[in-house]
Amino acid sequence: MNKILLVIRREFVTRVRKPSFWILTILVPVLLAALYAVPIYLSMRPIEKSVVLVVDESGIFGGMQRDNSVKTNCSFASTENIEYRYAATVDYAMREMGKDDDISSILYIRRRASDAIPTDACLYYKTDLPPQHVRFDVDKQLQRILRNQLLKAHGITDEEYALISNTKINLRTEDLETGREAFLEVKSGLGLILSVLIFFVIFMFGAQVMRGVVEEKSNRIIEVIVCSVKPFQLMMGKVIGIAMVGLAQFLLWFALTGVGVAVVQHNKSDVFEQARRKHNVTEVATKGSEATQQMEQAAEMATVSEVVEGISSINFKVIVPVFLFFFVFGYLLYATLFAAAGAMCDTDTDTQLFSLPLTIPLLLTLLLMPVIIDSPSGTLSQVLSLIPFTSPVAMMLRVPFGLPPDQQYQLYLSAALLVITIPLCSWIAARIYRNSILRYGRLRFLRRKNNSKLADN
Amino acid sequence: MYLLESQHIEKNFGDFRALDDINIGVREGSIFGLLGPNGAGKTTLIRLINRISRPDKGQLLLDGRPMTDNDVSQIGYLPEERGLYKKMKVGEQAVYLAQLKGLSRRDATERLKKWFNRFEIDGWWDHTIEELSKGMQQKVQFIVTVLHEPRLLIFDEPFSGFDPVNATLLKNEIVNLRKKGATVIFSTHNMASVEELCDDIALINKSRVVLDGSVDQIRRSYSRNLYEVVVKRCEGQKIILPEGFSVESCNITDNEETMRVVIPDGGKANDLLTELLPQCQILSIKEILPSMNDIFIQTVQKGGVR
Repeated sequence: MNKILLVIRREFVTRVRKPSFWILTILVPVLLAALYAVPIYLSMRPIEKSVVLVVDESGIFGGMQRDNSVKTNCSFASTENIEYRYAATVDYAMREMGKDDDISSILYIRRRASDAIPTDACLYYKTDLPPQHVRFDVDKQLQRILRNQLLKAHGITDEEYALISNTKINLRTEDLETGREAFLEVKSGLGLILSVLIFFVIFMFGAQVMRGVVEEKSNRIIEVIVCSVKPFQLMMGKVIGIAMVGLAQFLLWFALTGVGVAVVQHNKSDVFEQARRKHNVTEVATKGSEATQQMEQAAEMATVSEVVEGISSINFKVIVPVFLFFFVFGYLLYATLFAAAGAMCDTDTDTQLFSLPLTIPLLLTLLLMPVIIDSPSGTLSQVLSLIPFTSPVAMMLRVPFGLPPDQQYQLYLSAALLVITIPLCSWIAARIYRNSILRYGRLRFLRRKNNSKLADN
Repeated sequence: MYLLESQHIEKNFGDFRALDDINIGVREGSIFGLLGPNGAGKTTLIRLINRISRPDKGQLLLDGRPMTDNDVSQIGYLPEERGLYKKMKVGEQAVYLAQLKGLSRRDATERLKKWFNRFEIDGWWDHTIEELSKGMQQKVQFIVTVLHEPRLLIFDEPFSGFDPVNATLLKNEIVNLRKKGATVIFSTHNMASVEELCDDIALINKSRVVLDGSVDQIRRSYSRNLYEVVVKRCEGQKIILPEGFSVESCNITDNEETMRVVIPDGGKANDLLTELLPQCQILSIKEILPSMNDIFIQTVQKGGVR
């Protein structure tokens, strides 16, 4: 078997066999699943019923109404978890509170002679702070009732109000030729996720390469290995082996997440449906007038469908291969540099000197992200997406927007430059690597390094 | 016939000349001692032989032709700084290293089982290296070095880290390997083992070969005509030596008198015997050759130039 294949195999097998690999492999999908499931679970969780006593001196919030059971849009409406009861005076309310443990708080709306409309209200509690959802609901209902009272006073119907508040003009950005909408927000979001992912992968697996090199050096096994394998073969074997570990990990993540979601949805589909319906019902119940509510819902639906439409407007046939390309080759470019840096270190602690500075080009590109997203075809974006050390991140920020026709060539140019730079870079890295792996204490003699490097070749 | 020959090898690190005009020849089937104080350039030379680095000038010949990268499969090298992957299993690691030397997985496993058995570590195949004692790690490292049955073996301080029992085991294995036809380059500071094992040596000091040749020849050339004579002790009688002969040291026990006599140039041991015969009863006489240790110290302290 070819020696480089042996090295790749060892790097891959030893890493994949480590418990940490499997812990990470299982933990990430579990965390993702949790991210998905926890909000649903929380919304399903039975919430303790709380009672709020309303003391309304102003009379605006339904306090003067005789019959509490009549629901109007100008009084507090009890929800599934919160019961609103009216009390005439604060004294009475306090006495009630003393008697009934269910009463968690008293909402006191003070009347001020000077103001026609009350400007503040107070939620009193005894020992326990009222739960957040109670505070939210009270606040929401206060605003709603106040609004409805004002609407009534000015003779505006709910429908008119809904019309006013929900009508807005949408600014869209459209391609002149295709007539398709640009969906800039969705594309920026996608670019951000992809570029950060690339940065993260390069940094994480690059650091692994570096640690692998240092491990061999501090173990002193390096001297035995380089007797059988050329340093270049060893370095490339390590780089490729770790790349395969990374790819395996990603594939497992995708697969496990997919399987996990499918299994849960299949077995517990009723729960999910229930949760969703319940979630909606709760929202409906607290949402005041039907018309407003429907309009709000419609608006929400519009946003969702806009995102969906935005996502479907993205040319995934281009983005996926481009992402994979820059993902793999960006890693290869940096991994060789990390290997060379690792060869100059004696211990794991030394590597900390290098791990950050090496990723500065990528980090800088990430920091310039607002500029690139602001103008994906601007000069800075063009330059950054062509330089091989920044292009993996910069190109991922640009590609979701689509390159303008006259700049299409840049995608190929950038890819070509990256591909050309890799052998060049690995050649330099291999020289540094070869000259450094058998020397110890080099960092202390940084000044001597250049001399001896020249002489050694 | 030389298996390995170095011709005018020179190697520089920056302004520092690590090796300067090194010419040595290692006879096929011999044990060759590469000696020298720390920092003399031994490891640099060994790395050149292993093709880990390249000489700036000169060339290395194997079987009389310039070495190529493929020749490393004919070399087994045990570096002074031992090292194995600590977290890897012993057997797996040994197979991996053997595969890198060109053995097939099956061959490697088969041979390893035999060696593990011989070194009594067969129970440790599935343990990681860090679970092994230092001595056992050394054994594994030795096995890995010789497993592919190289023609040329290079041992750098092979006995360091071994207890006397295992050091003897190792010594016997090295002699065994030589019997099977391997050539051994042996770098060490342990001069006693040089005298015991080596046929030829080269002493490197300050980047140059300052002394080389067969061990016997060298010791003889450093001979000061020193003889040790043991005679039966005769009470109250002073022994008279021939003219020009001097006693360097004398040790008297109840029955015997041991003298170290330096014979002057042109003198012979026979003259001493003739003189002594009538005086006392001679028990033994032998020539004392200087130890490699003395020669080493003497040569290095002289500043290196022959």
